[in-house]
Amino acid sequence: MSTPAQSAPTSAEVSERIETRWAIVMFALVVMLLAIVVYTGVHWASMPPSRVEVVDANTLHLAGEFVESNLGTGIDPRGNVTVHMVAEQYAFHPHCVVVPDGVPVTFRATSGDVVHGFLIIGTNVNSMLVPGYVSTFITTFNGVGERTMPCHEFCGVGHAAMWAKVKVVPLATFEEMARKSGRLSCV
Amino acid sequence: MNDNLGKWAVLAVVAMMLVGGVIGFVWLPRVVYSDQGFFAAWCSALGVPRSWAAFGARPVAKISSDVVITHELLEPARPADVGHGATLALRCTMCHGPTGISYANSPNLAGQYAVVIYKQLRDYKSGMRANAIMSEMARSLSDTDMREVADYYASLPRPAGFQLTGAAPAVVKWGAPMRNIAPCGSCHGDIDHTLASPWLKGEPRAYLRAELTAFASDQRHNDINAQMRAIADRMTPEEIDQAAAYYAGEH
Amino acid sequence: MYNVRRLVLAHFGFAFGAFALALLLGEWQMIVRSPLHGWLDNPEHYYRSVTAHGTVMGYVFPTLVAMGFGYAISVVTLNRNLVGLRTAWIAFWMVVVGTVLAAVIVASGHASVLYSFYPPLVGNALYYIGVALIVVGSWVWVALLTINLAAWRKDNPGKKVPFTMYANVAGSYLWGWTAVGVVLEILFQILPVALGFKTTVDAGLARVLFSWTLHAIVYFWLIPAYIAYYTILPRAIGSRLYSDTMGRLAFVLFLVFAMPIGIHHLYDDPMVGSGIKMMHGVFTAMVTVPTLLTIFTIAASAELAARQRGGRGLLGWVKALPWENPVMLGVAFSFVMLGFGGAGGLINMTYQTDSTIHNTQWITGHFHLIFPGAIVIMYFVIVYDLWPALAGRALGSLALVRTQLWLWFVGMMILTIPWHIAGLYGMPRRMAYYDYTAPALAPDAWTVDASVLGGALVVISGFLFVYILLSSLRRERIAPPAYRFSEALHESPVVPRALNGFAVWLALMFTLTLVNYGFPIWELRKIPTTSVPAVYVGGGQ
Repeated sequence: MSTPAQSAPTSAEVSERIETRWAIVMFALVVMLLAIVVYTGVHWASMPPSRVEVVDANTLHLAGEFVESNLGTGIDPRGNVTVHMVAEQYAFHPHCVVVPDGVPVTFRATSGDVVHGFLIIGTNVNSMLVPGYVSTFITTFNGVGERTMPCHEFCGVGHAAMWAKVKVVPLATFEEMARKSGRLSCV
Repeated sequence: MNDNLGKWAVLAVVAMMLVGGVIGFVWLPRVVYSDQGFFAAWCSALGVPRSWAAFGARPVAKISSDVVITHELLEPARPADVGHGATLALRCTMCHGPTGISYANSPNLAGQYAVVIYKQLRDYKSGMRANAIMSEMARSLSDTDMREVADYYASLPRPAGFQLTGAAPAVVKWGAPMRNIAPCGSCHGDIDHTLASPWLKGEPRAYLRAELTAFASDQRHNDINAQMRAIADRMTPEEIDQAAAYYAGEH
Repeated sequence: MYNVRRLVLAHFGFAFGAFALALLLGEWQMIVRSPLHGWLDNPEHYYRSVTAHGTVMGYVFPTLVAMGFGYAISVVTLNRNLVGLRTAWIAFWMVVVGTVLAAVIVASGHASVLYSFYPPLVGNALYYIGVALIVVGSWVWVALLTINLAAWRKDNPGKKVPFTMYANVAGSYLWGWTAVGVVLEILFQILPVALGFKTTVDAGLARVLFSWTLHAIVYFWLIPAYIAYYTILPRAIGSRLYSDTMGRLAFVLFLVFAMPIGIHHLYDDPMVGSGIKMMHGVFTAMVTVPTLLTIFTIAASAELAARQRGGRGLLGWVKALPWENPVMLGVAFSFVMLGFGGAGGLINMTYQTDSTIHNTQWITGHFHLIFPGAIVIMYFVIVYDLWPALAGRALGSLALVRTQLWLWFVGMMILTIPWHIAGLYGMPRRMAYYDYTAPALAPDAWTVDASVLGGALVVISGFLFVYILLSSLRRERIAPPAYRFSEALHESPVVPRALNGFAVWLALMFTLTLVNYGFPIWELRKIPTTSVPAVYVGGGQ
């Protein structure tokens, strides 16, 4: 009794095998990309603006954390450096922001009218400002000097003029300034 | 590839949803919001609006204006409002002219946006904006009076035959992007209009110059969120002169 | 072409006519914001142009191409006249009327809101009504394709749906569903304000609804190009499609994954929670899979042809491909641009890398590389391939056709690669003028100059395309062979049931929409304080 010879794989089966192998490799590639995303999220806490907070865009100037006297950079009760900003057609307030070098800085910003964006060129600060919602972003500046901060979302005909500045100063200088005044800016 | 493909596909997608859900709603939030409980972290990740702790406002030192600008601030003008406003406006003619076009350096009110006039009257009354004459005038006006006066002046024709002469100066035409100054016309009506920005064409040169200078020195501060102060602050005195002259129709 | 010859010609004709005009606007925009031109006196003109360019290129041009191609596929693959021809013509006129309406309003400066609308900015109601008409016209097309397929199934019970029609209908369902987002935004948020019934609008909810449409719309644009990869290329180069089954799988994967991932456009937005963003990120990663499958299948199909022509070696077979064939050239260029653009897309896909380039010129460079680059070059290929059957004329000099394709490819690369670099330097989007003397922007100046040059080549190529087609009409008529699409290498009369119908995939698509979009939309609708005053555009004077 002899075992029946194996029949040679058909062309269709070969093709399907090759295709399946490719599909598996591709899927593995995609899973790897996702793993990188998760890893950086967990270990570098590099996550998107995460919490949803709402605010009344019409009364920013009357009460709450975005009143005029609270805009700018300050040190909050827990010792964190916090920058409060409002974006409106067509300027940021304050339009010149002072921040210390080398420590975490929390940006809290919102829009008073339409959708704006802000990007601090040369850093990882990149956020949208949607009226009615508060955007929070934490970053650490590395290097003293001046940075530019444009609005990067179409906000109306004056959008091209919406460029603000960020001045990064040494921590000691910043602390000195903060001692003298509650809310700092370089306006 | 067989007839169970459909079932496998459903299982795979469900698995992806679960994996994504666990990563996005359980694992990562626990790492990032380690100060919150499980349920709170889960809600935050979902996007339920919450308040980020410890960012409370400091006491309000000063506010710019107590007016809240919305489209509902003024109702559409009715003829009776305009009529009553005209009567009230008789007391304004001394400085602002019988047709809302002033002889002196008070601003022309004819054809000005109603919201603008109303807001300034409110600010005069509340003391957010100070002027020896206007503060007194505004004190005697009730809220309804102010609305009617505003409707009246808005209904008047703007200075006739007014022509802007000459090319607009750079600061008016293009602003100064790197100094965060937008072209004036992008808010003030030449190009587009934002609510509560006054119409500038034909205003007296001296008035425009005085107001811009007052904004720049913080003497005038009833602009919401310091919008005009920030701009005037970054304009040079020459630019202020040029802008004022341009809108007044002079060189 | 059965009874749709004139219908398809009308669709392509209006599409490419509008395209040519929008192309000119695009180059004008690039010139006026470059260092080569002084600052525009009235920035509103720039945004007017951007709105017109985006509306035509995003809503009109690709929609009409997909519709026309879709009708052609239906009659050719189902071997029957189109059912509902008159309805198809009505749909066409709806799109045309909507386009003209929107164009007139935009041209008069009353709706410079950009094709992404961005409430609280609100323009004239007629603009949005025009866009809505375009969408509704396209929905009629979706319905007609289903009706035609159903009629065929009735007469051919249990038979395998022809691959090209299967992909065609999958694409139409994707569009039908993804357009719902923008229609909801227009109907329930924008029009009530534009027509004066309301004065406030929730910008956060609007962005979420728009994102529903925004991502999958690019797959709607892309599907005709992919159909051409699978069904035109192999036939054109004398080969066969490597795998019919894998092809079907790729298209249904698009159907499932392309739409419920739009929130990756909102990674940096404050109105969506991080968990939802992660879900969208995971599924965005999945939508790369069908493209990766496609690359293999198409390359394999090409390799078959090359080896049959005597090609040898691990990569040397590429030389043996029929490069004088414009279809081969076009697909190769498309693949190169898809490669670069796809890599850029991987950057955009995750929050971590996206936040370096979000809303910079990288984004604009990216989608110009993918859409006008990789996809539109395939639209040219599709029209060239169908032209003899549609117009009854030969194309004329193939050398000229190849030149047109070369110009498009080279122009696109010069246009978009420096554009990406500008984004890496942090140049923000959508500004009518830039101060190139400022230190922050000085490094970007050369990139914009380069893009102007690339854009000029693209304009020339676009007009050359129109010239090639129009000038062919002066030649004498020919009787072309019956048009057909590629055959599969291994034709089998049966496919897995799931790949002969759409039920499973549609169910998955709806479920994922619910899971990925349900909560954000429901939550955002509930909050009263986030509705802000509308900012009416075009209200000067």
